[in-house]
Amino acid sequence: MSSSLTEPTAPATHDHALKPEKSNLGLMRPDHSKSVIIDWLTTVDHKKIGIMYGAMALFFLLVGGLEALIIRAQLIVPENDLVSAERYNQLFTMHGTTMIFLAIMPLNAAFFNFLVPLQIGARDVAFPRINSFSLWAFVAGALVLNFSWLMQAFSELGWFTASGPTAGMTDFVPGMGWFGYAPLTERQFTGVGTDFWIMGLQILGIASLSAAMNFIATIINMRAPGMKMMRLPVFTWMTLIVSLLIVFAFPAITIALGQLMFDRVFDTSFFQVAQGGQPILWQHLFWIFGHPEVYILVLPAMGIVSEVLPTFSKKPLFGYSIVVFSGAVIGFLGFAVWSHHMFTTGLGKVATAAFSLLTMAIAVPTGVKIFNWIGTLWGGRVRFDAPMIFSVGFIWMFMMGGFSGIMHSAAPADAQQQDSYFVIAHFHYVAIGGILLASISGLYFWLPKILGKMWAGKLSTWVAILSTVGLNVTFFPMHFLGLIGMPRRTHTYLSGFGWDSYNMVCSIGAFILGFSILLFVIDIILLMTKGKPAGNDPWDARTLEWATTSPPRSYNFARTPIIPARDALWEHKHGAENRKITFVDEGSHGIHMPSQSWMPFVASFGFIPLGLGLCLMQAGVAYMGYVTISGLVIITLGATLWAIEGPGGYHIHPKEDEI
Amino acid sequence: MPDTLSTSNADHSGEEQKYHAFINLALVLAAITGIELVLVYLPINGTFIFATLVSLSLFKFFSVIAWFMHLLYDKLILTLAFVTGLAIASGTVVALMFIMDRGFVDFEAISAF
Amino acid sequence: MSDDAHNNDSHHNLMVDNKKLFMWLFLGSDCMFFGTMISTHLIYRKLYPESFDPTSLFSLELTSFSTFILLMSSFLMALAVSAMHKSDIKSFRRNTLGVIFFGLIFLACQVYEFTEFVHEGLTLKSGTFGSTFFMLTGTHGVHVAIGLFWLTCMYFYSFTGKMDPHESAIDVEVAGLYWHFVDIVWIIIFTVIYLIEFIK
Repeated sequence: MSSSLTEPTAPATHDHALKPEKSNLGLMRPDHSKSVIIDWLTTVDHKKIGIMYGAMALFFLLVGGLEALIIRAQLIVPENDLVSAERYNQLFTMHGTTMIFLAIMPLNAAFFNFLVPLQIGARDVAFPRINSFSLWAFVAGALVLNFSWLMQAFSELGWFTASGPTAGMTDFVPGMGWFGYAPLTERQFTGVGTDFWIMGLQILGIASLSAAMNFIATIINMRAPGMKMMRLPVFTWMTLIVSLLIVFAFPAITIALGQLMFDRVFDTSFFQVAQGGQPILWQHLFWIFGHPEVYILVLPAMGIVSEVLPTFSKKPLFGYSIVVFSGAVIGFLGFAVWSHHMFTTGLGKVATAAFSLLTMAIAVPTGVKIFNWIGTLWGGRVRFDAPMIFSVGFIWMFMMGGFSGIMHSAAPADAQQQDSYFVIAHFHYVAIGGILLASISGLYFWLPKILGKMWAGKLSTWVAILSTVGLNVTFFPMHFLGLIGMPRRTHTYLSGFGWDSYNMVCSIGAFILGFSILLFVIDIILLMTKGKPAGNDPWDARTLEWATTSPPRSYNFARTPIIPARDALWEHKHGAENRKITFVDEGSHGIHMPSQSWMPFVASFGFIPLGLGLCLMQAGVAYMGYVTISGLVIITLGATLWAIEGPGGYHIHPKEDEI
Repeated sequence: MPDTLSTSNADHSGEEQKYHAFINLALVLAAITGIELVLVYLPINGTFIFATLVSLSLFKFFSVIAWFMHLLYDKLILTLAFVTGLAIASGTVVALMFIMDRGFVDFEAISAF
Repeated sequence: MSDDAHNNDSHHNLMVDNKKLFMWLFLGSDCMFFGTMISTHLIYRKLYPESFDPTSLFSLELTSFSTFILLMSSFLMALAVSAMHKSDIKSFRRNTLGVIFFGLIFLACQVYEFTEFVHEGLTLKSGTFGSTFFMLTGTHGVHVAIGLFWLTCMYFYSFTGKMDPHESAIDVEVAGLYWHFVDIVWIIIFTVIYLIEFIK
């Protein structure tokens, strides 16, 4: 076994018999298409799907950021009238919903998709067509949710007025907060904005659920020989835990949203007080989902950091088993703490104490991870390349978010902090200081692998400085704003409370943060246009994905690797002879590749009429019930044809000396 | 395919055993349903009936999973996947039942009764 | 047949088929799904036990009958899976037809029951009981209907000659898992919605 793992090679010879074939349906499979559009619409390649998720995520990060900047511009001075109260409510609702569901979750999905099969030595995920379905369902959900902006514009222009079930309502964009508390979300109080939110989230939920189950099956079943569970990269472990969290947490919100929809469409009594409904039940069901959701958002970030720190310290992760175990404990305990979002709702002494204690307990495994990350840095030969700067920043900034979190866990203290700016400070430190910095770290680390080009220049240093400065200038004062009593979700405030200067500082910080993101976008564009070829392993890294070409071939590995140890690539490069990666001799029938398919795209396309139909029906548009049903028919048809067409597949034969 | 013959013989005898297990279980389940139906009409203590009904239901639930759904014959990982979901769901249901209390209801606001 | 060894769908690390693992994960998720709905129902019954007395409406005989029917359909499903493993397509078809037939009877009982209730004035709009009852049993009914659609497709597909028993055994098994799950959810619903209302 030579050290040719890191040498560039020529592409595989393709069989001259590689022509598209017919599926069991008698239709041509869209394999080897010459059209770029068809290729990308029908792809089942986890790498391409990952890139599409990532591109959409970055787009919506900017959309959500714009919504935030308008919010901060509104709040820069007291009694401002940049936007109306209704518009302000819609802005913070959409900012939260967009950032969580349309930016971070797909960004995490992008990393999962691109990296996990490579990190476990597989060719693709367990169910490539379901993977494609998840992506397009996500696109459908994003479309349905943001279609509401169009409706709002039509309404403002006077071209459309709501009638029927929501006659008289003027909110077409969701404006009831990203957590949609009942009874505000009932038909008497909000218009189709709420319906768009319900349908958007349901569709996005289906996308997440199918992807999660796919990844669990992949990680459990598709590992290369020798890749035992305790040899997996931490990022893959976190993917597994997060996927399990998704599988068990999303049903709660699916039902809650379903019940809310029934209340709005069929006049049931789940949350309507006059009929006996209990709005507090919404809060319970939402947070039973919502709390695991925030761990779904942050655990992948922790996984990224657990890859970057060892690579740039040239040391293995300190306490690998404990880090993995802590991740699992955080995930599991995450299901037991949901009512800490409800300390001020009058749960009673026992429940409040129980949830308070359990929330404090979650700090323990989180703290363990932080100690282990620091232990990784300690004594290492640290290189402060761009990914490292952001990961180190993560440790500090996430910790600060953790401190305010622990302050919240004490229910008496939380009684003052709840619904104040203190909460906003807490979650933005963990979300931006934690998740965003880690994600940027991951992008700086892996984009060279994904796109095959290396970063040019030192713009990353400016991104790091300005984003950290921006984060702190925006959100640190919010701790004080909260403690001196400024409530959340207020579209303006009066002068004389002592809030004015804090708000102005926060708003200036927000624009600094926004500018840093702009610089990041510019850096990515520079990478794509001016970047030099990256080579297979530009960072001298530790895990399997760096053994492939940059970008990896469609089939990932020419021959399946046999894994002798954890940090397999590092051991291969610098370890003993018996710890080198060897390869399975797969004989001469070549590599089996899954066929591309239209069916996942067709099936998920049905979500658009399903979602829009129901919302427009609520807005009083005629015949929309039929549109909704047609959506269901398309989904069913797509799924049935998908089952019948069969997985197909074709073979590729790579050259002898290739990876 | 040289393997198929020997494996299919083993499969067949395994399948025969499972076949008998299925028939037995079906009969037991039918009997239990009958018992439940009679039980609710008997003039016995309500708590006892409730406990028995719950136990019988749990038996039906787990035995269908174990035999009809093959979990007894399959790898542990599948049982773990299912049991985790079940544990989280049960824990949540129980917690909610304790938290939601009549004492918190504002009956004045409910026009339905 | 060389596709077999390289077919992504049957790759084993832990000797568990991908499709089977996927279905069990889905069922674990479905547990939470039904668990949440059952939880909502139980909460509202705990809060307002006196608001509605369903014992006059419920026909325990009818519901016990439909429960029994579903249990028996589960039994036939187990036989159908077993038949496929033995490559006995004819027996598979007979048993699958039996499952579909019994499943339709179950749905018919449900439809009958629902129409009776609506006649008597219990609808989706009838307070918390109407809401939780119809949503829970209705969602279960939709699950049954989807299962019947799936089994019907499978039944007809078995006549096309493209169904190789060796390769399709796993698909039948996975459909069977779904069907059994739908059955055991009903066992819980039967106890939690119907039976406990009758305890004095």
